[in-house]
Amino acid sequence: MRTSPAGLVPVFVVIGVYLAFSLGPILWMILSSMKSRQDLFAYPPTLFFVPDWSSYQAVFGLGEAARSAASIGLVDALVTSVIVSVSGTALAVGFGTLAGYACSRFAFLGRDDFMFLALSTRMIPPVAVLVFYHFMFAKLGLIDTVLGLVLITTFINLGLATWIMKGFFDGVPREIEAIALVNGYSRLYAFWHLVLPMVRGGMAATAGFCFIFAWNEFTFSSVLATTKAQTLPVKISSAMGATGIEWAQICAAGVVLVAPVAVFFYLIRHYLLTGMTFGVLGAARR
Amino acid sequence: MDARSDAGAQAGVRAVPKATSDGLICGMFLAPTLAVLALMVIYPFASLLYYSTLRFSVLRPLQGSKEVGLLNYTSLLTDDALWSRFVFTGQYVLATVVVQFLIGIAVAYAFSRDFRGRDVLFTIALLPMMLCPIVVGFLWRYMFNSEWGVVNWVIGLAGFGKVDWLGVADNALWAVVIADAWMWTPFVILLATAAFRGVPKDIQEAADVDGASAAYRFFRITLPLSMPILLIAFLLRLIDAFKQSDLFLAMTGGGPGSETETVSFRLSKIAFSYFYTGDASALAVILLVIVIGLSLILVRHLNRIRERR
Repeated sequence: MRTSPAGLVPVFVVIGVYLAFSLGPILWMILSSMKSRQDLFAYPPTLFFVPDWSSYQAVFGLGEAARSAASIGLVDALVTSVIVSVSGTALAVGFGTLAGYACSRFAFLGRDDFMFLALSTRMIPPVAVLVFYHFMFAKLGLIDTVLGLVLITTFINLGLATWIMKGFFDGVPREIEAIALVNGYSRLYAFWHLVLPMVRGGMAATAGFCFIFAWNEFTFSSVLATTKAQTLPVKISSAMGATGIEWAQICAAGVVLVAPVAVFFYLIRHYLLTGMTFGVLGAARR
Repeated sequence: MDARSDAGAQAGVRAVPKATSDGLICGMFLAPTLAVLALMVIYPFASLLYYSTLRFSVLRPLQGSKEVGLLNYTSLLTDDALWSRFVFTGQYVLATVVVQFLIGIAVAYAFSRDFRGRDVLFTIALLPMMLCPIVVGFLWRYMFNSEWGVVNWVIGLAGFGKVDWLGVADNALWAVVIADAWMWTPFVILLATAAFRGVPKDIQEAADVDGASAAYRFFRITLPLSMPILLIAFLLRLIDAFKQSDLFLAMTGGGPGSETETVSFRLSKIAFSYFYTGDASALAVILLVIVIGLSLILVRHLNRIRERR
């Protein structure tokens, strides 16, 4: 909609107020992560202060701060989180791409039911299935293991990946395979060498989404992996030690946790609409 | 005739083997996803249905359990404490979804205009929904501290006194609503902006020429034409708000007392604090049925939109 410059004033007011509300807490988290104990609990809150990096040192297990009893130490959790998120994302995108292709190209019996079942992985309340997962994981020896967490992160993203990838495959003309088949190439060849390269961007965007959700996953991990295979969010939530809640460290850990999300968020920014609506809305860019 | 078209002709003739190989490929492509879904959705759901008919705790072996039929369901559904959790969850869902839509639609309408720097600001505004809920919860709990929290300082600048945000049940509800709205209004903005920008320009220009007021244009043209997408946003937010438990866990821990326990929160307590697995399974089945019902409506609308495009 084209609007005159004067007509844009209310637009900028609304957006300005909203952005202050939206970005304020993030800036506050960053500021607080650099505060010393004294500044942290000062009232009125200090806006200008000498940065104190001890929270980051404590979080990464470096120097003096790491040896204090209050240090939450994130390094192990960071390693677990990276392994779990990356493998869970790879599996979800791999499986979801195959299933998305099948749903896009073949009218098999029960396709709509399959799609609904896949979507349910995003819809079901985690606690509801956790009641049973707890039991199942204990039987299979998956409690507190990286393998168990990889299964969980694959599961939570599988429906999303299937739906988004189906959307991207729907955007590729069927004629491509038809021509390949007529020319004597197999469908597998057409899928791998012709169709897949056309949805490479879509796969990358899907991976970005899956990574963010896997990286942030808390509810499942907080029940199924609480000691040996703690992920970052679980570790952060347990930072309420003997000395009370370590706010500065939580904020520092929050910044560490947000950093990769911000990077991936920037990379997938053009696909946000597609990703958040399961590939139903938004231009299926390739 | 060259080799290629020869092969093509042959492929055309041999239609039957091609069809079977397509079926094989389809099966192979679906197999891994289907396996995960069977293990993680179908099998658990079936098991929960079975467990919900038992008086049983995971702390004791399954052999020690007793079949009680639908007793778990009747005891849950006649439990006033659980009903009050449903009421609280309902209040929370209603409040947070309404707040998100009021703010979201206003901001989205602003973002549906063209101006320089729009795309950058738009992307920045969407960031909160990508953050980790548990960290968002802790961050807001920190900011809502009644003594030294920044929220009380900001409203103090506007002349208000200090509010005990998390210590009083009614305030705590709104505190979580604010945190949830902070995180998820971007989602409404994302979808509503897409909906508003999808309204055909010629219709708007025609209304302009006819001298329609801005309010008339918004309520009689833009909003009705955006309804299908807004409905999707509404259903998704409804389902997500209904199952929200991370923010409550981080911000209030269900307190004061148990006054801010949502149904999900209550379920995790029954399952993992009291270990009444039979009751927990019954409540889990109830929640699943509610969410599946809402999801069916959602999928119908998703498919309708997809067909139209």
